[in-house]
Amino acid sequence: MSAPGGDALIRMEGVHKWFGANHVIKGVDLSVEKGSVVVIIGPSGSGKSTLLRMMNMLEEPTEGKVWFEGKDITDIRTDLNRVRTDIGIVFQSFNLFPHMTAMGNITIALRKVLKLDAKEAAERARAELEHMGLPEKADEYPSQLSGGQQQRIAIARALAMRPKLMLFDEVTSALDPELVQEVLDAMKRLADEGMTMVVVTHEMGFAREVGTRMIFTDGGRIVEDGPPREIFDNPKDDRTKDFLSHVL
Amino acid sequence: MKTRGERIREWTSEQTALSLGLLLVGAGGVAVFFVGTILLVWLNGPTPWESLLETVLSAAQGTVLNLALGLGAAAAIAGFASYRRMPTKAAREAAVSGAALGVQAVLLVGVFYAFRKGENVALTVRQNFNFELLGEFGDAFVNGAKNTVFLAAVGEALGIALGLVLALLILSERVVVRAPARAYINFFRGTPLVWQLAFGYFGLKLGMRIPISTYQTAALVLGLNAGAYSAEIFRSGIQSIERGQREAARSLGMSYMQSMRYVILPQAFRRVIPPLTNEFIILIKDTSLVFVLGLTLEGRELFAVARDAYAERFNATMYIGAVIGYLAITLPLIRAVTMLENKLRAGYR
Repeated sequence: MSAPGGDALIRMEGVHKWFGANHVIKGVDLSVEKGSVVVIIGPSGSGKSTLLRMMNMLEEPTEGKVWFEGKDITDIRTDLNRVRTDIGIVFQSFNLFPHMTAMGNITIALRKVLKLDAKEAAERARAELEHMGLPEKADEYPSQLSGGQQQRIAIARALAMRPKLMLFDEVTSALDPELVQEVLDAMKRLADEGMTMVVVTHEMGFAREVGTRMIFTDGGRIVEDGPPREIFDNPKDDRTKDFLSHVL
Repeated sequence: MKTRGERIREWTSEQTALSLGLLLVGAGGVAVFFVGTILLVWLNGPTPWESLLETVLSAAQGTVLNLALGLGAAAAIAGFASYRRMPTKAAREAAVSGAALGVQAVLLVGVFYAFRKGENVALTVRQNFNFELLGEFGDAFVNGAKNTVFLAAVGEALGIALGLVLALLILSERVVVRAPARAYINFFRGTPLVWQLAFGYFGLKLGMRIPISTYQTAALVLGLNAGAYSAEIFRSGIQSIERGQREAARSLGMSYMQSMRYVILPQAFRRVIPPLTNEFIILIKDTSLVFVLGLTLEGRELFAVARDAYAERFNATMYIGAVIGYLAITLPLIRAVTMLENKLRAGYR
């Protein structure tokens, strides 16, 4: 292992996370290859969201290192604002900016962070709205949209930055059942286009169908890692078996 | 959508004779009190104060009070006794409203009675409702109101700017940044404004010979004081914004300051409009304390004008003049802010 980052887009090594006295991540080594769709499943409290949030340093590892494109992003000297423009994240609770229209939500970072001019930002935003199937919602405020539409706007907002990696943190968990599919479809489209994705989810169908690799976490550790079909059909670890028997 | 006429007809059809009667009697009690009193004062003339006193003590005023009391008590007693048995919701609401109005009429009459039967009602009227005297000070009061508005507006503008900076400082994770801001806020919140004004005047202007006018000193100290209170308001506003908003902004590559400026503060501002208005209204009234600085004649605000006029005529009606001035400023302000709030809310919630 010469270059610590390797060819992987994200690489984690010996990562631990404590919240106070609570040891949430207990030594994780993981790399995410370009073009892969990594699905992280596991019981609640197993640390999967924390793991995901450490990939863009929303949570700082207490111990261990994280590389993005070979660059150590746990190094204090790394410009995280710059790194984050290459990593999109979508949250369970959408986190759209309620005081801005859909258009405003998408263009604000394009203009203020990437310094695009207003026209170019608007064009990109329109293209992403189209991409997410919501071209007519540009001037609506988040409160005027359904949960599924809001989440697709949130995906469009992240995509407009042209990220190299997309992180999804239980993005369908806050949605009414009938709205889940439209968001999953959008994510599947994204995967088909070759986007590198890390997806924390409870949607087993999506994991099996779209994931190129599945990780099962329990108690702050990765207990199983492999192709989704293999894990679903033939789980090796007892905890995985137990979990899958409950959710399938 | 039903038209106004349709809604009124529907409402009327759900009323009973008793419920309508209760509403009318209760409203009548309040109406008799106000209309009767105002009419008598108007007929007899509000000035000179002797005629006002005469009206207050007159048999006609006594009749008005007794009538209002009778109507109010009847509506209150009958309303509360019968509202549970009303057949429709509209009828019950009418009965309860009639009873509530009745109670209000009784309370109003009670207060007026107490005033009328007071030990020295003549002195009260002469000292507080001698409106004739206000006339000659009209221009002074208008000028005073201008100064009150100006001092409060400059103080609030300074206070908002300072408060915003202080709020960001006390939210810092670094104790060396937080501590001085915290000390400033606690000091200005913990000491009387009247002392701060006096110290600003004697300490800074006279003692240290800082070349600012007394008027500027007043505006500056009001601003320094308002800054401490506004800081706490902004802090709570900023902290009330969900953590996810900051996370979303930072994840898009925004710096701390960018996330504040474009995402957190615009939302926080809307949330702090009510407490900030409250603070502004308190500041408007606090301008009355700048009398300790001894402003020049044209620089005097409402309260100082009233004090001067009182010193000249030994009549407290002058303070009523100031009160009218304060209300003329604060009531439209409250109304304007309510409208602004509704407009902002219409945008996204």
